[in-house]
Amino acid sequence: MAVARPQPAGMLRALVHINPHESCMSASARVLIATAAFVALLSGCASPVRTEPVSFTPLATQPAQVVQLRQEATATLATGYPRTLKAGSQWRLAGSVAQGQVYRPVNTVFTIEGRHVHEAYLVVSSGKLLGFYLPGEAQYAALETPVPLSFGDLQ
Amino acid sequence: MIRRLILAAALVSTAALTGCATGPKYSEMSSTIPAMKAGEGRVYFFRSDSMLGAAIQPEVRLNNVVVGESKPGGFFYVDRPAGSFSAAASTETEKTLSFTLDAGETKYVRTSPSMGLLVGRIQLELEDPTKAMAEIQKLSFTPLVKK
Repeated sequence: MAVARPQPAGMLRALVHINPHESCMSASARVLIATAAFVALLSGCASPVRTEPVSFTPLATQPAQVVQLRQEATATLATGYPRTLKAGSQWRLAGSVAQGQVYRPVNTVFTIEGRHVHEAYLVVSSGKLLGFYLPGEAQYAALETPVPLSFGDLQ
Repeated sequence: MIRRLILAAALVSTAALTGCATGPKYSEMSSTIPAMKAGEGRVYFFRSDSMLGAAIQPEVRLNNVVVGESKPGGFFYVDRPAGSFSAAASTETEKTLSFTLDAGETKYVRTSPSMGLLVGRIQLELEDPTKAMAEIQKLSFTPLVKK
């Protein structure tokens, strides 16, 4: 699974860029903010993934349904780390949480990242990715904006 | 020519000083890796053979127990009962990796150096099994040596 990290250079360029016709912030203030952002990135001060405890119910019947993602989808966490779900990736129904059905990746791994890195399964309801179930912590991390997913059945 | 010799000597001495992984390659020792016990899973930790951040070789902990060291070009594995785990390297800032391990499952954790504020640090991430095994084939086995 590809993981796209926030681009420090791009973030700094955006902060430092000064347009005399648009800017209401002084150049020194922008440089100060850019420096603070750079130091924060270097010191590993990414925000933690916001989670809440959740009860996971494993799937009772086997074999589990496997679905394939028809189109690529990107979910951006509040931590600023976007995650791309590749077209063609396969996901097995693993169970459910209160928020929706839980799918785990087939033959690969999937993680989300903030201050720490967490193995993650998809939580899907009504064709939308609502968030992630973190199996290593039994926690749920909600997305601020649900992402529509297009699944096709494999078995 | 002399410049090249000096450069080569510098690289060799740097490698020696920084302690790149030495040990049998996976291909030489894989036949000695035992089968997993019932109810257990296996976690491989590995690090690419790169001089980048080679001096940073922290201990790696799994659920707060030291299980090995992150050495350039090295790998090791541990077997654990199925359950939830948190892995981390002891560096300037601690970024943990949480994951589950099912019975009979093998997970692969890549350790890699990155730039910190004062010193470098080691990040841990889960790696795709196919990619991980392709890389581990070329790495040296560096099990934890009890001091």
